[in-house]
Amino acid sequence: MNILGGEFLGFLNLNWQAAAMLVISGVLMWLGIARKVEPVLLVPIGAGCMLANIPLGGAAEPGGFLAILREAGIHTEIFPLLIFIGVGAMIDFEPFLQRPYTILLGAAAQFGIFGTFFLAYLLGDGWLHILDFSLQDAASIGIIGSADGPTSIFVSTTLQSKYTAAIVVAAYSYMAMVPIIQPPIIKAMCSKEERALKMPIVAGTISQRTKILFPIITVLVVGLICPKATPLIGCLMFGNLLRECGAVESLSRTAQNEMVNIVTMLLGITVGGMMAGTEFLRPETILVFVMGIVAFSLDTVAGVLLGKLMCVLSGRKVNPMIGACGISAFPMSSRVVQKLGLEANPYNHLLMNAAGANVAGQIASVVAGGVMLMLVPMFI
Amino acid sequence: MLNALWVVLLGMAIIFAVLGVLLLVMTFLDRLVRPKEKKEER
Repeated sequence: MNILGGEFLGFLNLNWQAAAMLVISGVLMWLGIARKVEPVLLVPIGAGCMLANIPLGGAAEPGGFLAILREAGIHTEIFPLLIFIGVGAMIDFEPFLQRPYTILLGAAAQFGIFGTFFLAYLLGDGWLHILDFSLQDAASIGIIGSADGPTSIFVSTTLQSKYTAAIVVAAYSYMAMVPIIQPPIIKAMCSKEERALKMPIVAGTISQRTKILFPIITVLVVGLICPKATPLIGCLMFGNLLRECGAVESLSRTAQNEMVNIVTMLLGITVGGMMAGTEFLRPETILVFVMGIVAFSLDTVAGVLLGKLMCVLSGRKVNPMIGACGISAFPMSSRVVQKLGLEANPYNHLLMNAAGANVAGQIASVVAGGVMLMLVPMFI
Repeated sequence: MLNALWVVLLGMAIIFAVLGVLLLVMTFLDRLVRPKEKKEER
């Protein structure tokens, strides 16, 4: 019996890639547990990464439970869609419905997706050929700029990118880093006077009928113009309909709590299971993370620029900072703008305005994902 | 390279178009729903 070289003593089969990934899994779990950085995701991702990189463990190999989960939940795109039902049930779109113009800020802030896609393709197969980025990979990397984990998974899986695991980890990590990435950009683009600008209070509430019709109409409008976005927007708005219709309280509660928690746990451990050292540790993976920062930064810049235009056109009734909330990192981005507003003017409460742009960004990022899925195959 | 540029330009145009239509529809819907509520209030 070949004890040393065979199916025994895993550490004798440990290569440097697997060892490095075990360290990375430890860092991910430490970030989640000790630093509370997206713990709901980073702890399962770290655990999955650890299990996938134990030599001879077989957890992520064909037939292993992580491989089965990947096949059932990621390749079929079921996990991100189920999460979207939960997200839809959690989101209150009232701040957006009170300020529908914020949807345009959400649209502008998707420029980070396309700008980063262009840059990645330029560095890859498009021109310089420095990195192994195909058109599909570049589109999947760009989608990190949606600041939306489920959309990132859905798009990168559908486009069959080689970097799905890195893209998902980057998307979720950077969402937690919004309070670090956005403030310097906003401060560089908006003067103290602009940051101190108060916005008029929006009077009146949105009727229940409007709240019920909103998800239905959104699915019809988005689906009929951009059909590839239908699964994502459909699940998001189905969840929201459960929340707002008032007839299915128990389903809404289940979607917001039990279902989303179970799927998040399974998704996290499965994504971690995709981080096998031999596939994950490449120069391109590091570049995927760098591109993630570029995407979030471009989102913020484009959002604030449209915010500035709206500020001028509205006679200074719109604080340009809320443009930065057009990315769908909800609610981190809103909190960042509220904090910066209060720093500039202690009486400047922008939270509800920022939240309007933020939830608008959620819809816009889903549309952007669908647009990517529609356009990229046309140009391959 | 030109393909990528087309994706960027078309992509942003479609996003603004879709969300612009949504904005118009929601504004129209708001006007459609609001008067009925006002009548009820009176």
